[in-house]
Amino acid sequence: MNPIDKNARSEQAEIDASAKWPVLVFFAWAIWWLLAGGVLQLVASVQLHSPEFLAGCAWTTHGRIVPAAQNALVYGWGMNAAFAFGLWLMARLSATTLRHGGWLFVAAKFWNVGVILGILGILGGYSTSFELLEMPRFVTLILLIAYAMVGVWGITTFSIRNTENVYASQWYLFGAAFWFPWIYSIAQIMLLKAPVRGVLQPIVNAWYVQGLYGLWFIPIALAAAYYFLPKIVGKPVANYYLAPLAFWWLAAATALAGGSRLIGAPVPVWVSTLGGAANFLLVVPVVVIALNLFGTLAGNYGALGRSITLRFIFLSMLGFVGASILNFALANHGFAAIAQLTLISDLRDWLILYACFSTAMFGAAYFIIPRLTGREWQSSSLVKTHFGTAALGIGLLVVALAAGGWTQGHMLNNESIETGSLFGEMARELSVWFTLRSIGLALLLLGHVAFLINFGFQTWAMFSKNSKVAAFRNPPALSLTKVSVTEGHA
Amino acid sequence: MKNGLALFLGVFAIIAVSWAGVLLAAHKQLGSLSQFRDPTDDTLYPQRMSGLADEGRMVYQDLGCATCHTQQVRHEGFGADIARKWGQRPSYARDYIRDKTVLIGQSRMGPDLRNVGVRLGETTSADDYSDYFYKILYAPESVASGNMPSYKFLFDTHSTRDRQPSYLALKLTGKSAPASGYEVVPSYRARALVAYLESLKDTYDYPTERSLNATAGKSTEEGH
Repeated sequence: MNPIDKNARSEQAEIDASAKWPVLVFFAWAIWWLLAGGVLQLVASVQLHSPEFLAGCAWTTHGRIVPAAQNALVYGWGMNAAFAFGLWLMARLSATTLRHGGWLFVAAKFWNVGVILGILGILGGYSTSFELLEMPRFVTLILLIAYAMVGVWGITTFSIRNTENVYASQWYLFGAAFWFPWIYSIAQIMLLKAPVRGVLQPIVNAWYVQGLYGLWFIPIALAAAYYFLPKIVGKPVANYYLAPLAFWWLAAATALAGGSRLIGAPVPVWVSTLGGAANFLLVVPVVVIALNLFGTLAGNYGALGRSITLRFIFLSMLGFVGASILNFALANHGFAAIAQLTLISDLRDWLILYACFSTAMFGAAYFIIPRLTGREWQSSSLVKTHFGTAALGIGLLVVALAAGGWTQGHMLNNESIETGSLFGEMARELSVWFTLRSIGLALLLLGHVAFLINFGFQTWAMFSKNSKVAAFRNPPALSLTKVSVTEGHA
Repeated sequence: MKNGLALFLGVFAIIAVSWAGVLLAAHKQLGSLSQFRDPTDDTLYPQRMSGLADEGRMVYQDLGCATCHTQQVRHEGFGADIARKWGQRPSYARDYIRDKTVLIGQSRMGPDLRNVGVRLGETTSADDYSDYFYKILYAPESVASGNMPSYKFLFDTHSTRDRQPSYLALKLTGKSAPASGYEVVPSYRARALVAYLESLKDTYDYPTERSLNATAGKSTEEGH
């Protein structure tokens, strides 16, 4: 090891040590929510092919389980995982330690108490019924205060950075850190605090949902891809000079794309037209990002076999491209006439949340956690189980939702099926796809259990003396001589 | 990019433009939409919801009905909503100003409900409507096929011994009927919900809206 490497290693170790407990706590919460949300989601899915399942009690009626599951996965798993990953990466890339991490425990506690109250509120009958804003009003303030602490920590870490350049992952993290609280508070004010009238409500709601997926989850996933891919492959990002263009273009177009969720709805036509046009414009940044990421991977596909993180990041990249294509298709009038309001529009959001974002977070967790605990993952077969079930589960869900949604859309639009018998026939036709979805969700849940057990082993191993101590290979040196645009990776 | 301030300003501008361009612009256009006074019968449309129906809206919200039901009739040529008689006309923005919470929904696992208070075929009497709604909530399979769950918890089943039978008791037959000597009575929440469902009817066609909401006709002029 040459002296420069040694310095870099000890600096990284110092950063990791400062981030250790806050990041582990956020990950622990995230994994718990992943399981809780997964169970709720599975129950909701089973209810579609066996409607009597848990229908007798108001707390578990389908209309409450579905938003409860969605909120648990978005605000429980998604946000906690993003906090853990985002704080760690911001510290690493800014080459500075995470200071006064103790406050982040307070933030974690507030956030998660808020989400627990919110989910109980939904199940207990206080849902607002606005998509992804179902949690009762009183938790908003708790969540915003908790978020403010996390966000401020991320931004402060960025502003005391010791690097000259700001890397792509940092732009995405920085942007997301501001976008979420802004859109969340705007939506809360315009829908619940001082509600706007009439169909303005669905417009605000669609704007928020699109923003949450497109300006929070996708940027976080891209931050992970832009960071881990070149780091593990050992190659600078291909065509990196295009990355800033993609960043600004993606964000600006996504921010205007919300209206595309309202094609055909009783809102002014310009709302959905603007949304559709913005979605078409998204083609450019998606292509650029794909060039960046797949270009970096090109010729190095062998590296996938060596790194679990890279395999998950690869899934995430496929998820990103898949979700973008579907988003694009749903902005198209002819396709939307069939696919909108069916399982296919569920698929779009699920692809972003799971296939793109969650897989990126799994990859990040497999990289970060051993560096925090100083212990290797105890069971490689559990890691393999997790990846295998994730890949297979995603495949099954894509098929189930796409085929089911397509059938559903065609049946809804087919006037020759009498309305009286339509939903009976539809339930019969779709039951195979509903069952397939339940199987896929069960598989994913199995993988999450494997992940949890391994995570438990890890934390247990930290306190026991005779466990495998992690020995990290240095990441392959970036070939800086050839290309000079690799900006400060820590 | 090296400049943190430039990054911040860009990030801020993106949301500011999007908020002003989408939400504020829509608000400017629709925010002051008011009831329409029909010149012939001098009545304001859309009519106000009754108090009970508005309470029912809250039941609709808390049970998450919007998870599977939409409340939007899409225009002719976009889906089969009109052909299915889910409405005699497409929904207009003005229809929704009476609703405190507007839940147009995003999934059609079940039928659209925007005009459910007026479209049960030949049935016209109010009693028939509430009877139908109570039945589909208590025992969906008794009146419709599909995968709608039962909402039995909105009803009380109690013995008819030592008390007068309730005038609201459900007239159930077959499998879903309670044991003899018992009756099924809708709770207050069920009655509110049904009042809300019965209030869902956009029957008034605004003369001003018809032209505003018409789809652009095919151009008959060929290029000169």
